[in-house]
Amino acid sequence: MSEEHFVVIGNGPAGHHAAATLRLEAPSARITLISKEPHGCYRPHLLPKWISGHVREEALYVCPVEEYKAMAIKFRSGQRVVALNPSQRELILDHKEMLRFTGLILAVGGKPRIPEPLRNFRDVLFTLKRLEDARMWKEEMPQVDSVLMMGGDLTSLAVTKALLELGKKVYFMVNEEAFWPLRWSAGLFEEMSQRLRQRGVEVLADQRVRGITRKGDRDYEVQVGPQTVRVGMIGAFFGLMPDVRFLAGSGLRLDRGILVDEYLNTGFHGIYATGDCAQIYHPELRDYWVSVGHDNAVELGRTAALNLVGNTVKAKGAGKCIFEIQGIKVNTSWWTEF
Amino acid sequence: MAKVDVTIEICGMSGDGTIAAGGILNEAMAAVGFSVLAFDSYPAEIRGFGRCVTHSRIGDREMRALSDKTHVLISLDDKESQSRIPFLAKEAVVLFDNKPPSYVEEGISIAGHVEPDARLFGMPFSDLAAAASGSTRGRNLAALGGFAAIFGVPPEHFHGVILKKFKAKGEKVLDANLKSFDAGYHYASEAFKERERPVLSLPEPEKEGKILISGNEAVARGALDAGLKLYFGYPITPATPIMEFLAKTLPERGGRVVQMEDEIASIGAVLGSFFAGKRAMTATSGPGFALMTELITHGVMSENPAVIVNAQRGGPATGLPSKTEQSDLQAAVFGGPGDSARIVIAPTHVRECYDFTLLSFQLAERYQTPVIVLTDFFLNNRVEKVRIPGASEAQAADWNVYPEESSRGNYERYRITESGISPRAIPGTEGFLFDATGLEHTEKGRPDYSSEIHSKMTEKRHRKIQGALKDLPEPVEFSSGEAMDVGVIAWGSTFGSALEAVLGAQQEGLRVGALKIASLFPYHADKIRAFMKKCKEILIPELNYEGQLANLIGHLHSKDVVRLNRTTGMPMSATLILDKVKAMIRGK
Repeated sequence: MSEEHFVVIGNGPAGHHAAATLRLEAPSARITLISKEPHGCYRPHLLPKWISGHVREEALYVCPVEEYKAMAIKFRSGQRVVALNPSQRELILDHKEMLRFTGLILAVGGKPRIPEPLRNFRDVLFTLKRLEDARMWKEEMPQVDSVLMMGGDLTSLAVTKALLELGKKVYFMVNEEAFWPLRWSAGLFEEMSQRLRQRGVEVLADQRVRGITRKGDRDYEVQVGPQTVRVGMIGAFFGLMPDVRFLAGSGLRLDRGILVDEYLNTGFHGIYATGDCAQIYHPELRDYWVSVGHDNAVELGRTAALNLVGNTVKAKGAGKCIFEIQGIKVNTSWWTEF
Repeated sequence: MAKVDVTIEICGMSGDGTIAAGGILNEAMAAVGFSVLAFDSYPAEIRGFGRCVTHSRIGDREMRALSDKTHVLISLDDKESQSRIPFLAKEAVVLFDNKPPSYVEEGISIAGHVEPDARLFGMPFSDLAAAASGSTRGRNLAALGGFAAIFGVPPEHFHGVILKKFKAKGEKVLDANLKSFDAGYHYASEAFKERERPVLSLPEPEKEGKILISGNEAVARGALDAGLKLYFGYPITPATPIMEFLAKTLPERGGRVVQMEDEIASIGAVLGSFFAGKRAMTATSGPGFALMTELITHGVMSENPAVIVNAQRGGPATGLPSKTEQSDLQAAVFGGPGDSARIVIAPTHVRECYDFTLLSFQLAERYQTPVIVLTDFFLNNRVEKVRIPGASEAQAADWNVYPEESSRGNYERYRITESGISPRAIPGTEGFLFDATGLEHTEKGRPDYSSEIHSKMTEKRHRKIQGALKDLPEPVEFSSGEAMDVGVIAWGSTFGSALEAVLGAQQEGLRVGALKIASLFPYHADKIRAFMKKCKEILIPELNYEGQLANLIGHLHSKDVVRLNRTTGMPMSATLILDKVKAMIRGK
C-alpha cells in the first residue's frame, strides 16, 4: 500500500462510484468509504418500485457489502462525519475518531426539504430519501387506503405511480412547487394535472395546506384550501437540501451545497465534492448548477475520482437538461416515466 | 413466541467492571425468564492487566454450549474488544462508548474495525455515568442501560439485580449504580429510533423456580444438601468459589470451613473426617490435585471415603490458571502409585454439578474410597439457569455399610466379601477396634506383605470399585437408536458442545448420535461398546492434547476412534465438532 489515503464520504450512487473508480485508478491507495446509512449502496430510484412490490429488496443493492472488502475498500457504514479540517487534511467522526487523508471526495447527498410552513407537521410527514424511509412506506401500505401527496418533486411522481399500482386513493396537491426541479410553467401545470387525473388521482390544484389534525392511527384530517381531506398517510416531496451542515466553519465555500469548479474541486487541493451536495460552476452559464438523478450522480462520482487521481475531466452538464428553480440551475436525468 | 438465541459479549480491560456487568446482565435476563448459559474469561492476574470477556448465551430453550458467534458486543474497551470482532455474527450489534475522553487516532475506536454489516450503537458511557452519579465508574452500568433500552428489556429486571448486588455496599454506591443504569437506559431510549432497535421477544414469566447459579455454586449446594459437615481447602483457581460459598453457608448448617496450609493437609483432613464418620470434602485444581495424590492412594488402600472436586484448568503444573482444559482425566483415574482404583465422575452441566456432588458422598461412603468429581474451568465458572430441587431423604441418606452387631469383638475391618465392600465401623465404637494403614494388610487391618494377601486384597479393592457401576450414572445416548455413520462420545463440559453439534447434524438428516459418559472410572464398558457397535466411526472431542478419554475407552471400539483435541484454553466449539462429523461422513 502507498501512503495515499483517499476518503469518500457518502455511499449513494456518486460516492459508491467515486470509490470504485478510485480503486481502479489508484490500485495501491488506501481507500475509506464512510456512510451514515447502515448498509451498502443501493439504487434510490428503485425505491418506489420496491414499495409497490415490483422490485425485490436484493435488487436494490448495487453490491453486497462483502464486495467492498474484495475491492480493498474500507467501508465504514453507519458512521457519521461531524467535522472537516481541509487544511490539516483530517476529518472527525461522531465517535471522536480522527481520520487523516491525502484526498477527499464529499458525496454526502441531500436530505428531504420541508418548507418552513410545514415544519410543524414534520412528525406526520413521510418522505422518501433513504432505504429506511422506503421501509416505512412499505410497512404502512397494507394499513393505509389513501395518501395525500404534497410537494411534487420527481420522486413524488414515482411514488404516486407506486401507490396507484397498489390500489390506493391518491390526492395530489399541485402548485408551482410541484414540479421541482423542473421550471414551473402554466403549460406544464396543465399537462401534469391532466395526466394525474387520467390516472385516477384527485388533483388539488393551486392549494396549500392550512392544517393537519391527527384523528387516530393512520387517520389524518388535512385542511387543503377550502377543502378537508381525510387520508391515512401524508407524503412530503419538496426536493432535497444538500446535507452539508457539518461543513460549516470548515473553510469550504458553501451556498446551498458545496461550491466547486467544473472539475468538482472545492478550491482545496485534493478535496472534491460531487453528486447532490455539489453546486457546480458552469463557465458558459457563468453560474452554479446542481445535479439530481441516479445517472448524473454516477457520472459525477466517477468524474470526481478521476480528477482526484490527477485527471482534468469536466463535469457534464448538458445545457438543455438544465432547469432553474429558485435561482438554482438544476440538471436532471430522470424526468421520466409518469 | 419467536425463537430467541442470542449471544452477548461484554469486553473490557481488568478494572472496567466487565465481569460485574456480565453478572448483572445474566441475572437480569434470567429474571426476565430467558434460559442463560454464561461464562467469563479473564486474566489470571487480579487487576490492571489483560482482557476480560463475558459470554452470555440467552434463549427461550435449554442452552447446552456457548455459541461460536456473538450477536451483541458491548465494548468497554475498544482496543481489547477488537479481538472479539472475528467472532461477530452477521449484522451483530456493537454497543460502544462514542465519547471517549479525548479524540482518538484512526484505528483506536472499534468502529474502525467492525465489518460494514455490523450495527453500531454509539453511546457516551462515561459521560452518562459521570453526569448521573458524579463518577465514570458506573459506565458499565450505563452500557447495560443502553442494552436494555435497545433490546426492549424492561429496566425493572435490572433494577432488581442491581439492588441485590449493591445494597450491602451502602446507599451511595447503590444509588450511583442505579442512576448510571437509568442514564444509559434513557439515553438509548431517546437516541435510537424504536424501529432501529433489535427488540427481543420476551419469554413467558418463569414458573419452574429455576435459579441462576455457577457450576461452583452447584457443587457447593450439592455438598450442603448431602449433609457436608467439614470442608478443608486451599484457595486455587477455579475452585476457590466453592470454598467461598461454603464459608458463608456451611456454618449456618452447623458445619465448618477450614482453610488449610496446603492441599496435602486438606486431603488429609478430609480423610480424617470421613474416617471419624463425618462427611467432608475438598476442592482443588490440577496443581493441588497433584499434591493430594499420595493421600488419595492412602484412601484407596485404607478404604477410607473422601470427596475431592478437581476443577481442571490448563496444565501441566500451574499452567493456565484461568483457562479451561480437560487434561486431568488420566491423573484422576490413574494418578498415584500402585493399582489405586477409585471412583471418578464428571458432570457435563451445572445441574449435574449439583447432582453428582450430592451422589459422591454416598458413593464414597458405600464404596469406602475417594471419589473424584472432575469438573473443568468452563463448567465451574459458567452460570446456568437450573432447578435445584434439594436432596430427598434417600439422596442424603447415610450409605455407610456398618458391621453387624454379631461381629462385635471379632471385627474384621477389611473382610473379603463378594462385593468387595467390607462393613466399616466408625472409630470409637466399642468392640470394633481395627488398624487402618497405608500398608497392605490383612482382613483385620494388620500389615502383611505376603503375596497371597496382596493378591486377594488388590482384587477385592478392584471388585468393589467395579461393583460401584450399578450406582453410577449410566451413559446416555442421544440417537434414533438405529445404525449411525458417526457416533460422538464426550465427557465434561465438552459434552454440551457435542450434543449441540449432533442435534444440528440430525436436523440436517445425518445419521449421527451422541453418547454422554459421566462415569469415567469405573465406566460402563458394555453400554459404551453397544453404542460403538451401532456406529461406523467414533469421534471423541476433548479439551486436551493426548485424547485422554480416547485412550481410556478407545479399545472398546473395533477400530481406531477419531480424536478431536483442542488446547486453546477455551470451551470446545460445537461448530468445530459438527464440521468434523461432516468431514468424517464425507470420508475426509
